[in-house]
Amino acid sequence: MSCPRASVFPGQGLIAIAFVLAAFVLACTSARAETIAVVHAKAWTLTAETPVENATVVVAEGKIVSVAAGSAAPVGTRVIDAKGRPLTPGLVHPATHLGLLEVSAATDTVDTGTKAATLGADFDVQYAINPNSALVQLARADGVTRAVSYPVRSGVPPFAGMGALLRLGDSGDVVESSGVAVFVSIGNHRGEADGSRAAQWELLRHALDAAQHDPKVVALQPVLNGTVPLAISTNRESDILQAIRLAADYSLHVVIIGGTDAWRVKRALAAAKIPVIVDPQDNLAANFDQLGARLDNAALLHEAGVTVATAVLSGIHQSYNAGESLREGAGLAVANGLPYIDALRSITLVPAQIWGIAGRCGTIAPGKDADLVLWDGDPLEPSSAAVAVWVAGKEVSLDTRQKELRDRYLPKAGLRRP
Amino acid sequence: MKAGSGRWYGVSGADVWRTVIVAVALWMVGVGGAGAIVHASRDDRAEAQSAVSQGRIPLPFAVDPYPGTYEPLPRTDTLIVGATVLDGAGQRIDNGDVLIRDRKIVAVGHGLRAGGATTIDAHGRWVTPGIIDVHSHDGVYPIPSTSGEEDSSDVAELSDPNAADTWIEHAVNAQDPAFSVALRSGVTTLQILPGSTPLFSGRSVIVKPVPAADVYAMKFPGAGQGLKMACGENPKSYFGEKGKAPNSRQGEIALVREAFLKAREYLQGWRDYESGARAAPPERDLKMDTLAAVLTGDIGVHMHCYRSGDMTTMLGVAAEFGFRIRAFHHAAEAYKVVDRLKKAGTCVAVWSDWWGFKMELVDAIRENAAIVDAAGGCVMMHSDSATVGQRLTIEAAKAAAAGRRAGLNLPPEHVIQWVTSAPAKALGLQDRIGTLAPGCNADVVVWSGDPFSIYTKADQVFIDGALAYDRSKPHSAPGPDLLLGRPEAPPEARAGVQP
Repeated sequence: MSCPRASVFPGQGLIAIAFVLAAFVLACTSARAETIAVVHAKAWTLTAETPVENATVVVAEGKIVSVAAGSAAPVGTRVIDAKGRPLTPGLVHPATHLGLLEVSAATDTVDTGTKAATLGADFDVQYAINPNSALVQLARADGVTRAVSYPVRSGVPPFAGMGALLRLGDSGDVVESSGVAVFVSIGNHRGEADGSRAAQWELLRHALDAAQHDPKVVALQPVLNGTVPLAISTNRESDILQAIRLAADYSLHVVIIGGTDAWRVKRALAAAKIPVIVDPQDNLAANFDQLGARLDNAALLHEAGVTVATAVLSGIHQSYNAGESLREGAGLAVANGLPYIDALRSITLVPAQIWGIAGRCGTIAPGKDADLVLWDGDPLEPSSAAVAVWVAGKEVSLDTRQKELRDRYLPKAGLRRP
Repeated sequence: MKAGSGRWYGVSGADVWRTVIVAVALWMVGVGGAGAIVHASRDDRAEAQSAVSQGRIPLPFAVDPYPGTYEPLPRTDTLIVGATVLDGAGQRIDNGDVLIRDRKIVAVGHGLRAGGATTIDAHGRWVTPGIIDVHSHDGVYPIPSTSGEEDSSDVAELSDPNAADTWIEHAVNAQDPAFSVALRSGVTTLQILPGSTPLFSGRSVIVKPVPAADVYAMKFPGAGQGLKMACGENPKSYFGEKGKAPNSRQGEIALVREAFLKAREYLQGWRDYESGARAAPPERDLKMDTLAAVLTGDIGVHMHCYRSGDMTTMLGVAAEFGFRIRAFHHAAEAYKVVDRLKKAGTCVAVWSDWWGFKMELVDAIRENAAIVDAAGGCVMMHSDSATVGQRLTIEAAKAAAAGRRAGLNLPPEHVIQWVTSAPAKALGLQDRIGTLAPGCNADVVVWSGDPFSIYTKADQVFIDGALAYDRSKPHSAPGPDLLLGRPEAPPEARAGVQP
């Protein structure tokens, strides 16, 4: 039977639609515009060396309005009592493959690389990012609010392609911007097409030379004019020195990813103002490029004045446990000499600086994006967890597939749901 | 232990095995026995002579022709005072003392007297049994990894889905830098397993991470071997892609059953020969040797499985052939079938948070260990990685924290068992390691703080009552040979090199 009421009361449908629309608009605006105040927080603003105890952090229109110790929440705000727990800026993962893979052993679910011979520096992963990935969901629940997702290889080595900046809200697109850096990979080449690391450096230099005279090589123009970094995944001392030389020769903004041997050339890196994204778990010679692996790499670099971000880069955790491993790595860096505050910055403010977004995120300060995480304990202890995550002032869902599996099977194991 | 007087596995309080006489094993082929696997020792020739006449000689496949040569480091009798002690048996003793003498734990309690032992003031620090890694590939997964070994790594023999005739100890590189970092992280015992590509992946070896030039000098005296088996994606995908069997889960199970059917016949052949019911001994078959020892219970099965259905199917196979699976390793979906695991008496060895990278791992959850434990199952953490193996207490910490958030009660004195007494039991060594009970081997770690904190380090590591590593003296344990002569290697790499 069709819908007789629609013909009997022709106006009702329209009214209903209008109501739904109004509610939708209201919900959207209230989510963005709601003013909230997180009170009694131990706020690691990261603008100071110590946290603000008993802090009140006021958020409106998706931005942080104020941070002050002991102040009352403004009238009309929704108040969240942090009960003394730590509040940090949302974590910024400096180098992951979030949104580009689902089940890495099933290659049809993986979009991290291409063999297409016509795609090199311009291989752009923004077109593949999947906001509904279970990995993205878990990273968000673990406190990651921004991440740079990058490719591992293109059809034109040593280029891997262009990375995208993600902002992990829980609805809609997560790509905030594309082409945030051009990525290359040098060394440990396993006899692939480029054959020798000498060839890798030469191919890179030839490509930069050619692009200087050819504006049609679009991807490399912002690299050449210094507005977009060239991110070089490399580990051996000789390659890091080549990267420093390359940066000087072409006036590039270079970022080192990995940098196992970076501690050996820390002063040169500091002088060249080249930041390094270090894996704090790296202490075994995974290959001959990594004989210099040591757990205090981040601490030594920091001490020498190098800008250091940290992230577990090897194994599955870089993407599958992007948030948890980011914190565990930073905690391990503290255990090996990196000052606590700098370890917190190494997974928030520093990656934001490296990727040129520190103007809007990475600290808790008036005017910054209200991307915040409230933790149930020390955020650098991997056994701690996020209890609330806000993206642009909106509290996002912490639900994950894992949590639903847990809740389905707890009773079957004779246990109660929490 | 005398030949034929008992089983090789699960022997309690046995002394250090002495000299090896490989020939004894061969010499004993063909003479009857009691189904035990034994080490041949210096005195075995004489023992065997009389045992032959008494019909007590073990089945030939139950003799280990490659016993170890491990000698403990010089003993360092020690009294640790004022520590937060987690004894591995479920107890927490605040401000507690631990006395180590003559390579054993003598006492744990309050106000103990040193009586000549060196005293360590451990106020503010924590003490636990040595950490046991039940699933390691140290020594066989090449560090550094190179293209030179890419297709021929020693993790597993890949020419046949049945590699039950392979013994991983024949491949272990004692110089692997992974052993050195394991020791520095508080690990005192490791089971080295072959990789999970073949269905029958080979025999394991249990070692101590002491400086050694070969694996025999690391072998845990009197410890048994395990058999690594694998189910699910790995065997079928590797062999299937090569056009060989198995290429399906059902094919895997068919091959496993077929092999155990043959092993049953093989074992019966030896028993008939032993009883005089047949005149000639069966022809030795190294694959069948291993599987027969599984059927007699002398070799414990460590089974790589992820899915709940794969695990219950393998429990069915074990029931069909009358053996027990000691532990499922990885066991991502153990939380779905805790009852079945409990009924079978099978433990699980798991990670805290690995998930998703293969199809049989998409349902892994961080609460897995906690749920199995709270529901009365037996659980332990494992590493499967030289990196994770340096932080097994952090694995336990993460898994327990997930459980606590799910409302489960998991105090530290309970959780420490996941990396001490639980793996000791899975290795059949529960009477020798894994707890601080008086009489147990003095494998002890003094931690700089709470062992479940990321900031904590192993300050002192004792193996068999010897101070094997002291963090305040980085040179107390040698670094790996690999790093000698490398420019500006970390200072600890050169530890143990005489100037």
